[in-house]
Amino acid sequence: MAEQDARQETTLPNPGWGPLSALPGNPLMWVLILSEMLVFAAFFGLFAWLRAGEREVFDASQQLLDPVAGGLNTLVLLTSGLFAALAVQAIGQGERRRCRQWLAGAFVLGVVFCVVKVVEYADKLGQGLAPETNTFFTFYYLLTGFHFAHVLFGLGLIALVAWKLSHDNVETAAAFWHMVDLIWILLYPILYLLR
Amino acid sequence: MGDTTRIGGDPATRRLLITWAVLMGLTLITMASARLGGEARLEALPLWSAGLLLATTFFKAHRVLMVYLGLRASTPAWRGAFTGLTLFTLLLVGAGYLVAQAA
Repeated sequence: MAEQDARQETTLPNPGWGPLSALPGNPLMWVLILSEMLVFAAFFGLFAWLRAGEREVFDASQQLLDPVAGGLNTLVLLTSGLFAALAVQAIGQGERRRCRQWLAGAFVLGVVFCVVKVVEYADKLGQGLAPETNTFFTFYYLLTGFHFAHVLFGLGLIALVAWKLSHDNVETAAAFWHMVDLIWILLYPILYLLR
Repeated sequence: MGDTTRIGGDPATRRLLITWAVLMGLTLITMASARLGGEARLEALPLWSAGLLLATTFFKAHRVLMVYLGLRASTPAWRGAFTGLTLFTLLLVGAGYLVAQAA
């Protein structure tokens, strides 16, 4: 029985990592993904709770956002995620040049996301809509700003692994990038669409 | 470029491309269900529309976890944990939404 367990353990993606052994890629990245999901879940829950108390303020403020820009950014980030996944596949097949090309594509689309977001921030601030305007905008800047910081960090990671190319590096950076994708997928409808 | 990395050339790549197409389509459905055009944008969403929006969001997050992040190759416990957390988050948001509508 112990022998069978040991054999099973060695066939897992990360033998020796205990309960994390069965997770693909870098186990520590999964710890980060789980903790980020918990943090954002708490923020989203708090947002929904406060919205229930100030519905008119939240709905009127949401009307001032640009849901099409947010949707466009969702499409951009999802495509960037696809490129990151294709980069992992390419490095897995030993195609380093192809991998760098996919990473470059993911990076460029990440920059496009940032440009759209900065234009959106400039527009809102130009209208006098700042974090202290009301509770909705406090959450808007907090949640999108926290996510934006992750996008910037992710771009740095993609650039770094394109330089120091290895399967583990690319897989880890791509996992981080998919987490950024995942958070935005949840954030966009909650902030921009649900009313 | 080898045959295996040609776009859609192998099952794994095809899976990624299909997932991407599904995610793009669901994003458009999400936007459409939020009724962004004309006067409807100023009104509260009908319940079915809000439900559809949250359901498509859950499915998108699930696809990213399972395919992009590769969680489908992991154990049922881990798949359940991440799916459960995503579902819990959206149920929390949905509950807050229902309370706001009822108030």
